[in-house]
Amino acid sequence: MITATNITKVYVDNDITTNALKGISLTINQGEFVAIMGPSGSGKSTLLQMLSFLDRPTAGIIKFEEKEMQTLDDAALATFRNETIGFVFQSFNLLPRVSVYRNVELPLLYSVSLPADARKSRIEAAVANVGLTERLQIAAGKLSGGQKQRVAIARALVANPAVVFADEPTGNLDSASGKQVMEILKKLHEDGRTVILVTHDLATAQYANRLIRIKDGLVDSDTAL
Amino acid sequence: MKLTDAVRTAYEGVSNAKIRSLLTMLGIVIGIASVMLLMSIGASAKALIINQVQGVGSNLIFVVPGATKGSQLSAPQSSLGIVIKTLVEADINALKQEPSIKRLAPDVRGGARMVFEDKDTQVTFEGSTPDFFGIRNFNVAKGAAFTEQDVTGASRVAIIGSQLATDLFGAREPIGKIVRLKDIPFRIIGVLEQKGVGAFGIDQDSLVIIPMSVAQKQLLGINFYNSVSIEAQPQYDINFVKDRITKIMRSSHRITNPDKDDFTIRTQADVLSLLGNITSVMTAFLTAIASISLIVGGIGIMNIMLVSVMERTKEIGLRKALGAKNKEIILQFLLESLMLTMVGGIIGTVLGGSLSYVIAYVIKNFGGQAGWIFMMPASALILSATVSTVTGIVFGLYPAQQAAKRSPVEALRYE
Repeated sequence: MITATNITKVYVDNDITTNALKGISLTINQGEFVAIMGPSGSGKSTLLQMLSFLDRPTAGIIKFEEKEMQTLDDAALATFRNETIGFVFQSFNLLPRVSVYRNVELPLLYSVSLPADARKSRIEAAVANVGLTERLQIAAGKLSGGQKQRVAIARALVANPAVVFADEPTGNLDSASGKQVMEILKKLHEDGRTVILVTHDLATAQYANRLIRIKDGLVDSDTAL
Repeated sequence: MKLTDAVRTAYEGVSNAKIRSLLTMLGIVIGIASVMLLMSIGASAKALIINQVQGVGSNLIFVVPGATKGSQLSAPQSSLGIVIKTLVEADINALKQEPSIKRLAPDVRGGARMVFEDKDTQVTFEGSTPDFFGIRNFNVAKGAAFTEQDVTGASRVAIIGSQLATDLFGAREPIGKIVRLKDIPFRIIGVLEQKGVGAFGIDQDSLVIIPMSVAQKQLLGINFYNSVSIEAQPQYDINFVKDRITKIMRSSHRITNPDKDDFTIRTQADVLSLLGNITSVMTAFLTAIASISLIVGGIGIMNIMLVSVMERTKEIGLRKALGAKNKEIILQFLLESLMLTMVGGIIGTVLGGSLSYVIAYVIKNFGGQAGWIFMMPASALILSATVSTVTGIVFGLYPAQQAAKRSPVEALRYE
């Protein structure tokens, strides 16, 4: 589904050069639940940004279903992300002053226009999927951390993406809320969706069925769980 | 992205920071209100002046002594305080022979103190002939105008304006009363209808009109005229009559070179055009000054929008990660800026219009200008809408572009 070949990423900031990725090659197949682990600064978040097409590699090739994505311009990549990828961030990245409904609606604002009724049904279904129907019209800023992350998952799913990327989704949650969130991600995988998870926590990574360890910008190990 | 979604998103952006949005809008509100107020007052003043000039009478031509320097719309020398003695009885007699002229009235004017019992007031008097009343639309409300016999017989009679009658006589009957003008006794034989302030700032309700012979010989000691008001025959084109008068005056003054004309002839249209030009230039000048506040308001919008872009960097990153294209980010921030300026423009228009309405009411009811009417020209409304929109676009575009430039990864990482 996603194939990365010898990708590197170099950041230059005030004459300081950082080689975040040093030539990573890997393939992620459809329906996999992959956990990417590594110590802080190992390049795991950079790898997620490359694989999710939020950023472009300095060198190397990344293909999605055999299509080389570097050739796409920013607008085409934005459309691709909107239609294909769902994101769950560590810090939720919700708009705190607008309702849960409006937060979950966000990806649909930038997608092919749906009839109003269909859009509403999708949003309600996505919110119901994470068990927050009764919070639909509450401002997102008023929710607990666990609820916020569930809203973020609903937002990631509302456009029905093929792949869900989760960057430290339990990093800001207590263990109970974290477990709840991971159960939802596990369910997504069981329903046939590809889930790619970045974490530094082995217990969280145990929900996946494949573990890729990154160290110093390179794949250290790639094992099935 | 659907336009309705874009508008709603922009509305959320604006309404999420209500106080800031209101304060940002204030610059535009004040700017637009100032421009509206000045344009509205300018239009009202112009309408008042035009009505007053038209109120003088139709088909009118004025002849004044002295040439006009510069353009045809410049002021004649005689209106600049220069005493010119070239308009004389021979000219009047020559003009009276012209068939395209229906009637004419020469006039002289001056200032003097008018005394009645213990009351003493400064007045402007006009000396003329009986046709003056008809030509200049001065209607006698009480009593009667003087006659040709009064002019030839140098009768010391006077017709006074309604305000002057009130000032001097209060509730008493003015007709038949004797007043003194430059110590010469005059009998009041008529009171004029209320007319308001004239086109050139003369309070026509405080005017004194007396026979020409008395004004010339007894009050002023002159044998020339200050101007002649001429009413053209209705079947003649006004410019034709103007040409005829020009020829007569040149012949009377033995002028062969038109550049040497020692008189100025103005039709009512010329006067209207002159006054219209003056008020338009004044209005444009004041509006230009008021527009400076609009620029300041626009810069305020840009400043706040830049701050907003900075503060909402993560939101921009999120939107881009979720599929927003650069043009959609630009649209969102541009719409926010437009909302601020357009709502500010609407509030400013209503505020400026309301202030102008109150000012019109005060001037009309307490300022002695019964003819002052509230006016809000369509051009002011169009200008308001255009300026609000253009300000929103011009001052919103740069911050919007700055927002769109952010890469999603950098924006999401921004703290």
